[in-house]
Amino acid sequence: MKTITRSVLPVFGLIFLTLSCKTKDVAPEALRNDLLKKTTGPAVVGDRIEFAYAIGTTEGDLKNVKAEASIVGGTGTGFTRFSWFTNRNTGVDQPVQTAADTITNGATSTANIIDVATNKAVTLRYYYYPTEEAKGKDVTFRFSGTSSTGKEVSFQSPAYRVSRMDMKRSLALVDGAKAYVSIADMAVYTKAEVEQNNLANKIDFIYIYRATLGTGNFAFGHALVAPSNADYLKDVTLPTGLAKPRTLIDKRVDVKDAQLRNTTGFDVYIDDIDLQQTTFPNAADFAYGLTADQGAFVKTADGAYAAYVYVNSVNNTAKSMTISIKRLKLN
Amino acid sequence: MNPGYKQEMTKTMKSSILHKFFGLLTLVALLSCSKDPIDENGLLITGRSQCFMTFFDLLGSDHRTVLVSGQTVIDTTAMTVTAVARYGTNMLRLKPYCSVVTDAIVEPTMGIWTDYSQPQKYTVVSGNRLVRKTYTVTVTVQK
Repeated sequence: MKTITRSVLPVFGLIFLTLSCKTKDVAPEALRNDLLKKTTGPAVVGDRIEFAYAIGTTEGDLKNVKAEASIVGGTGTGFTRFSWFTNRNTGVDQPVQTAADTITNGATSTANIIDVATNKAVTLRYYYYPTEEAKGKDVTFRFSGTSSTGKEVSFQSPAYRVSRMDMKRSLALVDGAKAYVSIADMAVYTKAEVEQNNLANKIDFIYIYRATLGTGNFAFGHALVAPSNADYLKDVTLPTGLAKPRTLIDKRVDVKDAQLRNTTGFDVYIDDIDLQQTTFPNAADFAYGLTADQGAFVKTADGAYAAYVYVNSVNNTAKSMTISIKRLKLN
Repeated sequence: MNPGYKQEMTKTMKSSILHKFFGLLTLVALLSCSKDPIDENGLLITGRSQCFMTFFDLLGSDHRTVLVSGQTVIDTTAMTVTAVARYGTNMLRLKPYCSVVTDAIVEPTMGIWTDYSQPQKYTVVSGNRLVRKTYTVTVTVQK
């Protein structure tokens, strides 16, 4: 009896294990979709968020797709007409048109799939441009698509917080000309413009270029100098009545913000929290020796704004610099 | 000899050997767990009595050195460090770091933003924590 039990039990065990591991075959849905947020940086007004919305069917044809944003997007929001594939010979992504009639009406964007006989599965790009109204708010997206069989699928995105920062790209500075920068205005002025438009109280720093400076002719280069710094501005004829605020300027060489750089291949981003939490203990009122890809955290003398000023390029011959700015209002 | 008595003796001997073995094992285990002395920061206190600084540098807000190359002098007899900062250096916000002889430590801790418009003092403490030498760091700026 014992022997029989010993022989039979393992057999039952094996059968039980086999049965327990068997999975049920579930027929996949004929119409399916998925969503990928391609943008990794913060959602900033002046830049866009990019999504890749994929949809495919095994029954009938794809008909159209729709994206509904919880907050109306700015100009440029909507689907594009193209899907992309990588050319295996060159490694370069190339577009192929898979959609038409891309329309954005309010918060809703739509597109019709074309060449449906072959386009049984497509991935379309959807761009969303945050607006001033969306600053500091969460925005969500509901993507959906239909097929010729009347079926519909949808994908609800998580919520994305739109940054409170302002961003301005490519401000051209020229020593002795367009050299007066206002963080409040996110603009650069000439001496005459400062005087004519009564901007004497709005200038936070001045751009100068001096190859060398000091009695020993020490290297100096491209610099951002607060009006309070008399040493480096002694040879500059300042606008009449220019206020002398001590703007705090803290140089950085390794903060290559991808959005301010405005090129692909970089994934460092200044976000709201960086400008909120950056402290300026004993910070200087100038930054010198600046070259491309460097920058400085800046805090206005009245404490109203914190900003990151990124140097896009410098030109020693033309004594010029191109900067981009991310700014956050602190109070 | 009584066989019962012999069996009892063998049992007692085995037990004694086992007790000695485990006792030895416990001693080894205890010895292996003994710790070298450490200071209040968890750093090892060793037998070394050497006490001197070998290298000194200052970083600006961009985490790049502000010192002019070849101008830093460490005098281990006078216990001074003199260095020259580049023209335009913000002396109010500099981050110092240094190298010291093996096992020695520095008080107060370096690596924090410090005002170098005035000379700063740092004490090098030997590995055995018995020798202390206070260095005065003086930095001038190119004018």
